[in-house]
Parts: sequence; structure tokens; C-alpha cells
Amino acid sequence: MQEHRTMAEQQIESLLRGPQYETVQTDKEYFLVPLFRDLCRDMSENCPPYGRFLERLGTPIHNWQGLADIPPLPVTMFKHFELRAVPISQVVRELRSSSTTSSAPSRIFVDKTTAFRQARALAAVLKEHIGGSRRPYLVLDSPDSVQAGDQLSARGAAIRGIGSFASSVHYAYQTLPDGDLVPDFDTIESFFADYASAQPLLFGFTYIVWTRFVLEMEKRGLTFGASGATMLHSGGWKKLIAQAVSKEEFNSRTAAIVGCSPKAILDFYGMVEQVGTVFVDCSAGNKHAPAFADFIVRAPYTLNPVEIGEEGLIEVLSVLPASYPGLALITEDLATLLGAEDCPCGRKGRYFRFTKRVEMTELRGCGDVFAQSRERP
Amino acid sequence: MRITQFLPTGKRFSDSLMPLLDELRQNSSELAGIPVARLLNLFDDFGGKLLQHPETKTLDGVAFLSTWLRKSNLEGMLRMNLGGSPEFLDGFLPVGSVKLAAKPRGLVSMWMAGNVPTLPLFSLVQALSAKNVCMVKLALENQPGMIPLLTVLSQCEVAGLNGSTLFKFIAVVWFDYKYQDLNEELSWAADTKIMWGGGPALKAISALPRREHCTEIAFGPKYSIGLLDRKRLERSEGFDNVISAFVRDIAAFDQRACSAPQTIFLEKNLRLSLRQVAELFAHQFRRLPPKLSLDFYTTVRIINVRAEWALDDQRDLIASGPEANWTICMDSTISMKEAVQSRTIFLTEIDSWRQILSLITPKIQSVGIAFGDPSDAEAFANEATLRGVARCVRPGLMNGFESPWDGKLLISEVVRWVSLKG
Repeated sequence: MQEHRTMAEQQIESLLRGPQYETVQTDKEYFLVPLFRDLCRDMSENCPPYGRFLERLGTPIHNWQGLADIPPLPVTMFKHFELRAVPISQVVRELRSSSTTSSAPSRIFVDKTTAFRQARALAAVLKEHIGGSRRPYLVLDSPDSVQAGDQLSARGAAIRGIGSFASSVHYAYQTLPDGDLVPDFDTIESFFADYASAQPLLFGFTYIVWTRFVLEMEKRGLTFGASGATMLHSGGWKKLIAQAVSKEEFNSRTAAIVGCSPKAILDFYGMVEQVGTVFVDCSAGNKHAPAFADFIVRAPYTLNPVEIGEEGLIEVLSVLPASYPGLALITEDLATLLGAEDCPCGRKGRYFRFTKRVEMTELRGCGDVFAQSRERP
Repeated sequence: MRITQFLPTGKRFSDSLMPLLDELRQNSSELAGIPVARLLNLFDDFGGKLLQHPETKTLDGVAFLSTWLRKSNLEGMLRMNLGGSPEFLDGFLPVGSVKLAAKPRGLVSMWMAGNVPTLPLFSLVQALSAKNVCMVKLALENQPGMIPLLTVLSQCEVAGLNGSTLFKFIAVVWFDYKYQDLNEELSWAADTKIMWGGGPALKAISALPRREHCTEIAFGPKYSIGLLDRKRLERSEGFDNVISAFVRDIAAFDQRACSAPQTIFLEKNLRLSLRQVAELFAHQFRRLPPKLSLDFYTTVRIINVRAEWALDDQRDLIASGPEANWTICMDSTISMKEAVQSRTIFLTEIDSWRQILSLITPKIQSVGIAFGDPSDAEAFANEATLRGVARCVRPGLMNGFESPWDGKLLISEVVRWVSLKG
């Protein structure tokens, strides 16, 4: 047992240390499947609910032939269950999702091993997209999002993670007592005055970037001429889709404010349930899995992997989680599988584009819910 | 063009409901002059032809619709709704010292739910039988089977009446629910509004402006359950048929009808454990053909509920496999589980049916009951209907549309009783 754990640890180390996008899909599966078998077996022993989940809904672990054979745990389960594979004394940080679409946030228990892997993984991925040098970092959020203590929101975790690439950190917003964010124009203008030519790094949540940065700056006619800047952003597109803002429009108008190329506006797909495992836009606008992770786009009903060109539910697989069962998670997001091994950017493996969140169907009809609370008396 | 009109010949597109509504109103007196028996003859012919037409005979629920359309059934329904005499629809009849007649309310506007392909016909035939002109607003732009259903109706023929004539009295349309102006137009035109659907849809439709005399009839949202008592569970004879009948109720309309069971309660007994009953359900589910497709939303609901049950050591489940075909969730927590639909059933073990009485509210529409002793069944039905349940029926009959439905005699609500004394 100890021997295979050590071996798994070595394999994860080698994945984090090596190049992130150079392995073709078949080789990747060949390497990752046995590793996931070991990791899932350990996880099922250390987290009994996960063991039950695998036993009740999967085939025996030794029968898994491909990554698609691993039963994916729905990501929302972290809202309903306290899923831990380590004693609470070993938890160094509890991550919490925002609870915008649900009253209960996800609770993710991170131990030292997982935290270390997550930090290294994020650095390994971002390094391949934005380079390894430290840059002035403008956070398009408020310092309150990165609260002190052992609990951290999804926003806070992302802000901190990207912070490892920062030579200095500046917060562009302040939180009002009602929770709203207001731009700190002095900080924003002085940041760009000082660092516009120093290849600054910007990060914010997509909706905040659009509503609090792009629209606010456009209203005031402000642009910053930071031609070497890179902006990373992440988070839901639902509200932007509702406002009919396409990714292309988002990129071009954001780039016009910052003063950089639209290709330097990089969306990444990630979630608090898998911090460190991020899928960053490549130069062709597609998303690839890093070496230590993978994704599967699954068809509705059959849940089989889709063919190229088809849309399906996104499942993300990552070797990073050691303290909670986040190894294979199926989301409520949809993506189109665009291809494998032939992305114009040159990265290997499969690639996808996020499309939207799953929406409630019109077909549910009158046989709907029992909950009385949904009816007015 | 925002409006799609469904016709036997296909779809027609327009931008205003007004011309259609005006035409219906102009033709209302012609409909009033058709004897009710002739309408029933035509519907009887329609029922027969539905099972012959290649595009309608395979539609979900069409076999039941065909039976429901039989003249004997519709006549019985009219008698029940109209004081024993459908002829009240044709003119004044003496009742004691007065003469009474049942006149149409006028124009009935219907907002349909999208869950049951044949649902618009159940609503339409009842309103038409009472000689109301009708505009039916469908929930879906591509309502499965609607054009073939209308085509078959148009091809019916009985002495003195052609199916094609009925299209002077009905208009079937679809427009996006977001078009407030069109919804308001339809609501203003109505003498009666009939609404089928979920809570938010009903609230929105009910809030539309209407004329003072306009009445509203709302169906849904509802929730249905099943109940197997100890005596029936302990009797093996015919028990497989009970389970297969429940599975037919679950599979029909992909469990989206308000009458489809979502939670089935089982009393503890000496013969079968909860798991054993679940295995019997699983056996019947395995005999169903696979679903043709499934939307993402329902797929997500199914995989989520499976995971919730699988992670929990107080619960158990049996699932079809990785594909979201069917799922049986088991527990002993006495509650109504949130409906997942699409062949997802919750089996809950209880000591006695009396334990679920406190959960019963008017939200519960139908209870599929399998009792060993008819007197126990009646005792339960008395208690359950007192608390709001509309129907207690044998498994296998849960989705059988009948009158009354949701406690309402629909035809009686789309007529005006008028009197003549002189």
C-alpha cells in the first residue's frame, strides 16, 4: 500500500514538473488510468461516502480501462455532504464556492499535500500561458475577497493562486457596506501610470470585469495603453450571455480599455472544487487539459463521451486532490468537444470550448415539485 | 413573424392574434348550432382514426386518448358534468318549474404545458363539446405530434359534420412566452382561461389582464404518489402485475405528468424487504425500451440524485447503469421526495399509511393505491381526499385522464347555466 502511494506521489510530481501540453491523448490515458485507479482506491478507503459511491454506481476499480470508466462525482455533492479523506486536524484550508445559484456553498477540505500540489499545478499551467516572470498584478476585485483565516472563497483562491506570479499586488476595487464593488480610480490610474509598460498582469471574475471594469471605464472614456498586459479572467458567462455579450465582444472591448491585444485576454475554466486545475484559453481560443488533468465531454442520457463537434456535460479529472474526492467531477456546464491533436496553437490532446450552464428544460410541465414553499399560500 | 399557427396542412406564421380571434368569434354561433351528439360522433371517429394513422398511433398516450374519445365515455362525462343530460347543450330542458340550458362561455383561451403531447386534445375536446370556440397556446414551438393529430382530426367525417369544419372553431398557436403583448391579447379575448403547467407559468398567466366576467381554470403544479399496504405486500398473487402497472405509470410521458408517481410508500411486511421490492421494480424497468433521448437538465438531475443516494449510508439505490435510463432510490425517511422525473422513483418504507397523512396537502393530485383489503383502501381514500388528494386509483390507471380532474368538472366550468321561466 505504502509502495503504491509513494509511486503515485512520484508520478504526480513528474506530471507537475514536466511540460503541460505535449502528450498526445492516447499516451496520456495510458499513463493516467493506472494512476487514477490507485488514487481512487486510496480515496475510497479514506473517504467512506466516496467508497460507497464507487461501489454503488461504478464497476470494480480494477476493470477501469479508460478515464471514461471512472464514475464521475457530481460537483454539487460538495454542497450536500462533508466529503473529507483526512481527519479535520489535517485540514489547512476550507474552500467555499460562491453561493449565487444555490443557498449552500460547496465546502472543500484542503490538506497540506493538496494545497502544495494545487499551488504548483497552477504555477505550472499559467507559466505555459503567461511566462514565468513576476509582474505587477492588478486584482479587479476588492481585498475583502481574500480574507484572512482558514476559509477561502473561490474568488479568493484564484486571486491568491495567481498572486504567485506577482511582483506587487494592487486591488482595483473596494467593497461597500452593502457588498457592492466600487472602482478605486486612484489605484487603477496610478497602477497603469506606473506599470503600463511593465507587462502587467490583471485578473478578475468575468462578470465583475465586464460590469465593474469595462463598462465603467467605457462610461468614463478611460483607456490605459498597457500593450504588454495580460488579463486572466474566470467565472460564469451566464449573466453575460443574458446580456448578449459574446466572448469575442468581451475580449475586444476589454482589450481596447487595457490597450493590449484581444489575444491577451485569457478566459480560464476552473472551479473551487478543483483549485489548481485550470483550463486556460490557448491562442486559438480553445481550452486544453494540462498533463496532470483531463476532461471528458459526456452526452446527455448515455453519458458516453461525445464525438468531435458535439456538445455535452463537462467532466474534469485531476490527480491533485488528496484530501477530498475531487478526482473526477462532473459539472453542470456544457462544452463542445472541438478536436484532438490538431489545435492551431500546437498543444496536444483534446480541446474544447465552454458553451453555457445547463438550463432548466421547458418540458417539466405540471408534474413538477412537491415543495409547498414554491407556492404562495 | 412571432406566431406559429398549427394547421392540418402544416404551419402558418403571422404577427398578430387579432385576425384569428376575430374569426373564432364570428364563427361561434355556427358552432352553437351543431347538435352535441354530432360533435360526439365526430370525436368518436377521431379516436378510431388516431390508432390507424402511422404518425399518431405511436404517440405517447394516444391509445388512452383514443379510448377516452369514445362516444360512450364522452357522453358519460357530459352527463356527470351537466346534471345528467348532455342535451342541455342543445337547448332548454324543463327542470321542475323552470327551463334550463347550458350555453357556451364563448371563447376559451388555453395555455398548455409541454409535458404530455396529447394534453391539448383533452382540454380542447371538452371545451368544444360545450360549444366554445378555442384558441390553444402550445408550450413548445415543435410540439411533438401536434400536426399529425390535427391532420387526423381534419380527416374525420360523420353525418352532417366534417373534421375540417372544426378548424373554423379552433386555432392552435405557439409564440414565445416572453411576448407579453401576445399573452395579454389572448387573455383579454378570453371568456374563460384554462391554464396547465408549473407554478411560475400559472402565476404569470393568471396575472395577465382579463375581462371582468372571464373565469380561470388552473391545472397544476401537482405531485403524485403510490402506496402499497402491508396486506397487499404479503400476498404474492398478482403482485408482479401491481409492480408492472406502477412502472407503466412511471414510464408514461417520461413521468412529467402531474399524475405520475414520484414517491411510492411501502408498509413494512413479513414477505418482502424494501430492497426486494426495489428489485421487482428494477426487473420491470429493465423490460422497458431505452429512452430515445434526454435533455441535459434532466440528465443532471438524475446523476445528482443517484450520487446523493449513493454517498449516503442511510439510503440505497439501484440504477440502470451509467446511462440515465431508470433509477430506484430507497430510504426510510417519511417525506415526499423532490420529483426528478424520467423513470426516477423513490421507494420509502413506512410502518403504516397513517404516517403519510400529515404530508398530504392539496398539492398531491393522485395516489396509486394497492391495498390488500378494499375497506382499508376506502379508509385511506377518505383520509387522503379530506386532506387534498384528488384521486385514489389502481396502479396502471394513474395517468388516465378523467373527469373530475384535480377536483374539477371541467365541462361544467366552461358553460353558463341560463334559465327560462315564463
